Amino acid sequence: MIVRSSRFFDLETPVEFMTEWITPVNHFYVRNHMFEPAKFDAKAWQLSITGEVAKPLTLTLADLEKFSIHSVVNTMECAGNGRALQNPKVPGIQWGKGAVGNARFSGPSLKALLEKAGVKDTAKHVQFRGLDQVPGKVPPFIRSIPIDKAMDADTLVATSMNGAPLTPHHGFPARAVTPGWAGAASCKWLTEITVLDKPAEGNFMSPGYRLPNTPVKPGEAVKPEDTHSVTALTIKSLIASPSDGAKLKPGAHVIQGVAWAGEADITKVETSTDAGATWNEAKLGKDQAKYAWRLWSCNWKPAKSGECTILSRATDSQGRVQPEAPVWNPSGYLYNAYDQVKVNVQA
Amino acid sequence: MSKPSENKNRVVETRLAASPSIFLALIVLSAVAFAGEPSPNQLPPGAMQEKAAAACSTCHEARIIVQQRMGKPAWAKEVDKMIKWGAEVDPKDRDAMVDYFSTSFSPDQPPYTAPRSTTQSTQAKVRK
Repeated sequence: MIVRSSRFFDLETPVEFMTEWITPVNHFYVRNHMFEPAKFDAKAWQLSITGEVAKPLTLTLADLEKFSIHSVVNTMECAGNGRALQNPKVPGIQWGKGAVGNARFSGPSLKALLEKAGVKDTAKHVQFRGLDQVPGKVPPFIRSIPIDKAMDADTLVATSMNGAPLTPHHGFPARAVTPGWAGAASCKWLTEITVLDKPAEGNFMSPGYRLPNTPVKPGEAVKPEDTHSVTALTIKSLIASPSDGAKLKPGAHVIQGVAWAGEADITKVETSTDAGATWNEAKLGKDQAKYAWRLWSCNWKPAKSGECTILSRATDSQGRVQPEAPVWNPSGYLYNAYDQVKVNVQA
Repeated sequence: MSKPSENKNRVVETRLAASPSIFLALIVLSAVAFAGEPSPNQLPPGAMQEKAAAACSTCHEARIIVQQRMGKPAWAKEVDKMIKWGAEVDPKDRDAMVDYFSTSFSPDQPPYTAPRSTTQSTQAKVRK
């Protein structure tokens, strides 16, 4: 794993690992804004549901296990994935390509818990808070999602990942999973759910995790009212193999990778080895799920030796096409330009 | 990632030679398996080196700073944000701190190279 930071703990998955549909937990990226909880005590853990509800609840892990368990295979990506590729550079963890992974998350649906508490008509947003420890005067990592997404049957309070209890780095004992959305909507070490009559406030709702409504130039001031929250992920593909910088023997090769589109479906992935003049459609892998990435591959026999840049671009069911150039924004969110690797084909 | 340039190698050597914690740095580096040469996880020499290390390391390691490449206005914004968030910086040191970061980690500095670990090694203990 690529260590972006060991305090706070932030690990990136090397893109060459992305050849499997389900990312093993130990290879799944880790994003922490704060210190992880000092202790992980499943018996003492509680989850409160308060705010705009008829019957506030406090649930234990044993209580959660009484709800029916729902599984969602979800591609989770940090909003800042690819930040290091933005030009000019912007502050924040300098993620390369690999703050993304695909896992099967299981637990009760958030909807079932909210219905037990009795959501009032005044409910507009659902706020999450985790047990991560806040240093200094840093604002706590508190964010909310709109009530419609919270009441979607696929939004979970997950207790397991790939069939095993969540590990501490991934939010033990329970985390929100807001499928198809940037990872920041999937609060780890979840302990408070608050139903609100408006969006949550605080640094991680504004100015954090916001994009300008229209593209801005570097250095240009953006008014808060001209921004919107990062929600669903965008259209994106990555090349897992060959690796950037690889030396390839002459002859046939396979180009392969992953592609995802948040709440939309991948319909096409193409590669180009002539700077985008012509594109070859890749074969999509058989594994698929509503919010999960697709594996893709295509055969390639280089026509000549020497340096070659391989490009990939994806298209989705909403008609979105991965763009040639990224849309620069002040926090470097949702980078999704064509992926590219440079290889050297030996004579 | 691009390969380290000769220029970058010189920078690393200078920093290690100037550092009293060279042995600690070597131990930390040898504890992880990495591809390519990672950038150092310590603040470089400079007028504000010690004060910056003290102000920042309460919350996070130097690596979070060392990986940034930004101009002076962006560094000023970051320093002011961190002071607001509890970093203890004497007001008379604020401008020098911005100068130190924006000189050490300007956009024209060599690219940052992250180390690699072989595993998610620091798993916390879970009580079930």
